[in-house]
Amino acid sequence: MANYYNIDEILMEEELVSVVFQVEANGVGLLDPGSESNDVEKGAKVDLPFWLAHELYSRQVVSVNVPTCFGQKTWKEIQADAACVDLRSRCPYFYELGCRVAPLVGDKSIGSSLLYTFAGRYKDALCKGHKSGFTSTPKFLPLLTKEESQLFEAARSSMAAFKKWRVGGSRLERASILGRKRKSAAEVQALNP
Amino acid sequence: MAGQTDPDLSIFSSAEVEFLAENEVVEIVPNMRMEKLEMISGDFGPFLPQIVTKVPLWLAVALKKRGKCMIRLPEWMTVERLTKVLEAERESPREFQPLPFHYVEISRLLFDHARDDIPDIYMVRNLVEDIRDVRFHKVETGLETISGRTHAVKLKNLSAMEVNIVRPFVMRALQAFYKHDSPEMIPQPDVNGSKRQQVANHGPRRDLRPR
Repeated sequence: MANYYNIDEILMEEELVSVVFQVEANGVGLLDPGSESNDVEKGAKVDLPFWLAHELYSRQVVSVNVPTCFGQKTWKEIQADAACVDLRSRCPYFYELGCRVAPLVGDKSIGSSLLYTFAGRYKDALCKGHKSGFTSTPKFLPLLTKEESQLFEAARSSMAAFKKWRVGGSRLERASILGRKRKSAAEVQALNP
Repeated sequence: MAGQTDPDLSIFSSAEVEFLAENEVVEIVPNMRMEKLEMISGDFGPFLPQIVTKVPLWLAVALKKRGKCMIRLPEWMTVERLTKVLEAERESPREFQPLPFHYVEISRLLFDHARDDIPDIYMVRNLVEDIRDVRFHKVETGLETISGRTHAVKLKNLSAMEVNIVRPFVMRALQAFYKHDSPEMIPQPDVNGSKRQQVANHGPRRDLRPR
């Protein structure tokens, strides 16, 4: 992938996807918690992290199911009101995972649905990002995926920086060490009787 | 995500934009006598009492702080001009009026350091604030219309500070849209050798969105 050391990329690949084994696999029983022996039977349905599922898929060992977060239920909710759907609880890397999973499952509608979802949701990040104050954490923040919350943060922080500049004050910032007061001897004694 | 990990890559802080704005030329009326100043960017002066001369804003502010000059209000900062600009901004919801590229920063520097040189300072200040609010609201409504087909956003007459505020957001949003839109439009061979399918025909793409 594009960036090997990208932490978001790594975390995204940890997401579980459900796969069906096309062949029998010996000695990998730990992948399937329901298996009684040390083998995974052919046709067994197992949840694997995406990076493993992807490798096995390219060797045609497994077939990948559409993850639940890209199921019909989600798309229905998004069509109703994209901005209100809690995507973070479904998958914090909704868009990234969607882009990677789509070619594996052969579901052609995922790509356009992702675009539709993003187009419906980014406006909120824009408006609320510019309008929210310096410190308050808005209520809708927990609904956003990782990418959306970064977008929101970009809008919020640039607006906050501008407001700070406009209000002004002294242009020269004082070093933090200068703010400390040296304690007088009497104060020290009062603190440690 | 690739390309989006470093959001602070090309971002100026507001103070840096202000620094750039200090290179703009303003007119001052000195009240002292001084030789010509020979700088790399050009010669400024000579300074003679009551003779108008042009200097960069940083020099004007420095002289003003020492009480050595009076800064002449730029033409666009008069009440009449600003009132006209504000009206025009309100009337045309999709266009921006031509103002100096650094109008936000220049006006703030003058309000801070040369308040006694500005007639009707409260009026001028309110007008500048109003103009900025109206323009920024326009920028926001414009950005809400970004869609998958937007490859670039053209905003004519936008000022430095306004660009700087929306830059991080626009960069990310455009990148995300580009990413989500591209595989469907351009069939690419991916890792498995199969071709990604074209999902929906979005019609011809427009490269620039005129504003």
